[in-house]
Amino acid sequence: MACSEQSRVACGIGGFYTALAIESVLPILHSGPGCLFNVAGVLALANGRQSAITYYESSIPSTNFCEEDVIFGGVERLRNLTAKALEYYKTDLVIIVDGCTAEIVGDDIEEVANDFADSETPVIFASLPGFKGNNVWGHSQILNAIVDQYLTKPSKGVQKGLVNIFGVLPYYDPFWLGTLEQLENLLTDIGLTPNIIYGPGKGIEAVNQIPDAEFNLLVGPWVDLDIVEKLKVKFGTPYLHYPCVPVGATEIAAFIRAVSEYAKLDSEKTEAYIKKNEDRYYSYLWRFNRMGGVMFPQKFYVNASASAAVSFTRFLINDVGLIPQKIFISENVPEEHHAQIEKWLREPKYDGIKDYEIVFTDDGGLCDVEIKGLKSTDLELTRACLFGTTWDELTAKNNGFPFVSISAPYGDRAVVNKSYFGYDGGITFFADLYNDCIYKFLGSGSVANIDVQPEAALGADAC
Amino acid sequence: MAVNLKLSEVPSREQRLGSITGYDGSLKDLATQGCAGCLRNKQRGFQTVSNCAHIHCINQLAGLEGTLVVDHAPVGCAGAQICFTSVKSRVPAPPGALQHAKVISSAIGESDTVFGALDKLRETVIAANERHNPREIYIATSCVSAIIGEDVNSVCTELSEELGKPVVMAQAEGLKSKIWASGFDAYCHAASRARLIDTKKRNNTVNFVGFSNLGKQYVEPLLARLGLELICLTATASVEDFERACSSVASWGQCGAQSSYLCSALEEKCGVKYFQSHLPYGGVGFERFFLDLGRYIGKEDEAKQVIAEEKEKYRETIEKAKKILAGKRAFVALGASFAYEYTRLLYELGVEVPHAVAYHYDPKLDNPDESEKIAAATDVIELNLDVETSVNDGQVMETRQLIKKYNPDVIITRGHDANIIASSFGIPAYACEIGLILMGYRGLALFATTLADTLANTNLQKQIAKHYKQPFTEKLENTAPHSFYKEVAV
Repeated sequence: MACSEQSRVACGIGGFYTALAIESVLPILHSGPGCLFNVAGVLALANGRQSAITYYESSIPSTNFCEEDVIFGGVERLRNLTAKALEYYKTDLVIIVDGCTAEIVGDDIEEVANDFADSETPVIFASLPGFKGNNVWGHSQILNAIVDQYLTKPSKGVQKGLVNIFGVLPYYDPFWLGTLEQLENLLTDIGLTPNIIYGPGKGIEAVNQIPDAEFNLLVGPWVDLDIVEKLKVKFGTPYLHYPCVPVGATEIAAFIRAVSEYAKLDSEKTEAYIKKNEDRYYSYLWRFNRMGGVMFPQKFYVNASASAAVSFTRFLINDVGLIPQKIFISENVPEEHHAQIEKWLREPKYDGIKDYEIVFTDDGGLCDVEIKGLKSTDLELTRACLFGTTWDELTAKNNGFPFVSISAPYGDRAVVNKSYFGYDGGITFFADLYNDCIYKFLGSGSVANIDVQPEAALGADAC
Repeated sequence: MAVNLKLSEVPSREQRLGSITGYDGSLKDLATQGCAGCLRNKQRGFQTVSNCAHIHCINQLAGLEGTLVVDHAPVGCAGAQICFTSVKSRVPAPPGALQHAKVISSAIGESDTVFGALDKLRETVIAANERHNPREIYIATSCVSAIIGEDVNSVCTELSEELGKPVVMAQAEGLKSKIWASGFDAYCHAASRARLIDTKKRNNTVNFVGFSNLGKQYVEPLLARLGLELICLTATASVEDFERACSSVASWGQCGAQSSYLCSALEEKCGVKYFQSHLPYGGVGFERFFLDLGRYIGKEDEAKQVIAEEKEKYRETIEKAKKILAGKRAFVALGASFAYEYTRLLYELGVEVPHAVAYHYDPKLDNPDESEKIAAATDVIELNLDVETSVNDGQVMETRQLIKKYNPDVIITRGHDANIIASSFGIPAYACEIGLILMGYRGLALFATTLADTLANTNLQKQIAKHYKQPFTEKLENTAPHSFYKEVAV
């Protein structure tokens, strides 16, 4: 029977964070008074203490839909609010969004947006009721609204080397900003001109450039696939679909080669770039390898978004040398994408390969229930790592498993510009995993009085 | 107004208490009008996001030990709950000692809004019960469940019988009240219905109702001097804690917003005296509260002795900080009670308060004895306390215009983003403590010292503000505070 707990997603209205990720794009909410906070909780506050780029979240105009609006409708209040917002906020684009309550009572936000057709600042709309989907769906609604309602003119002509980046979902991917910064640097280094719409210093100019790209680059298993397909039809822009944000040396090299080949870049330069960075990467790993003391548990579980699950499972197998036990993808991915995601998860090969399960669910708590139920002596003795969200952090602690946060909600530690992207990201991950291992396990050479430690703190069985 | 636990739902603060979210004037006027029952709410023509009762009802219920909350809502309505529980993995408790907050969504979908979702709700409760076997289950209602007219209470009655344990409705629709503290009432009402029993006896225990028991180690020894033992009805409170609390001699709460309903229910149903007129913060607040308590149990002399000792213990520290704070101006933006508690604390430290924003105002609370006033009104009567004040439900654009107007040395706040506004103007924000940790002379000394430190080096705020581009137009910059009120069409 249905049991959906430990929510790792916001609801549809969480799509407004995609608007907030684009500089000077202002969402206006026609929703309940707490909808923003419910989204902010899981996508920003407990997700790396993130916050908005231009407008702080609490300054977002909202009708704060209330009981009277159920009876009389809230369209008139929304219209007045939008007019005032246009007077008070410096903005390049306004997106009116609504939530469950306004949708159920039938408030027409399209009509309100159309009332501002003559406004100097464009006003568009997106319906985001939570009963229709989660924030990943909401994100898609926002991008579709921008493409359909804002990008209405044809391309001014293809700019050679200009590449739009899609697939990294702002805020929901806690590392989005750091990842996009590094991806931008990498693509620039290998001779392309990346066009990223999210983050400081991008904004509406970047959005306006979307139709002129030579190609769209989608990094990730399924998010934004609808957008690059739409852009292919609308502007004739082809796209390269790479299955994940590359983490670690193996994946990033494959990624660079794929992009380089697709964009017909100089392969010698590409190989020289890879060689230089691999040398540096393995030099760090060599030094790291000599730290000794504590070994990583080889087995691992993942409980995360599909994007994080594909990125990290591939890296953990290819580069860290760990053994997957079970992968929980807990963001309710539409069924049409399951087979492809599974194929990408199973691509990496390793010695002594074993079958493992991949579960698509909307129940974030399933992983906790299953790990609690593990009684095998094998697992007690060898242990496992758990990679997921801050919900899983307590599961990991209670079971003595090393843990690294890879997915929303990341936790209430600051994420700032952290990313596990590419070469540097891979090295950072090794360090983070090692650091949690030494926090949870004492080596037998430790000169410390273990009697003062609670037994469980020594990694004793808690299953 | 007395609470009525026989009802399955509790009316909102606006309906029950006449509470408001729109006002500008002075505390004296606000309290006077409130006491006379003629306080009127001001509406807004322009507003920004606020917060909702649903979130705060669930986080309190899920925080109690042995509970499980089924959120009868679309999946996102439980999204923010992680904010209140992610701390658990950092609490220095041994592995296994703490468990996840159990909040299970019935995940109302599109077709459910047409055909109803009561079957889905039933299934969710049964599945959740099988998975976790909690001692009691709460079902929280939501905007969507309310609009589509779900009869959640009848599901609670059926399932209580079927599962053989309390299944209690917590009416927590966000659209019902502009005051998110109505969610605390929904929590208190539901928990009281599930957990309070009239034991008809009194023990030497005293209840504290609040968010957390942080700081209890400083308060317990003071109460012990009066022969009292502390029971914390806070996060992680168990069914047993509630049972014991029913026989306590008295209760007090962290504030009027979070705690008044449960304290009133304890008084109404179990005869536990609720002390609400004097909150125990700062020296002035503590002296009045502790004397009230001492007198009530016939230990006035002991109480006076404790007060004298505490005052002396922290005198030097407080005096030292007061010298540094002399001449400073602090802007306050806090909840209904703490806005005026901190105003009084700042006055006690000799700090000027140009303006205090309260996130709502309750002209009265739920205590059965209506002659006892709320704490802020009591301070107006007893101490002649006054301050220029306004009331807004986390309307940061109003708060922003006020901060800009007064340009204070520091903002005293907690949550709800007044700190971000402060930062944008290069003003430091002091994230203040509430509850047991703020109690008494120790709390005042802690506040004074850390506030003095906050003001000692404000380089970070200055640098940030220098590089921050305000995203608002000239029109807004030239808009006077409170002008959003005037824009309401008559």
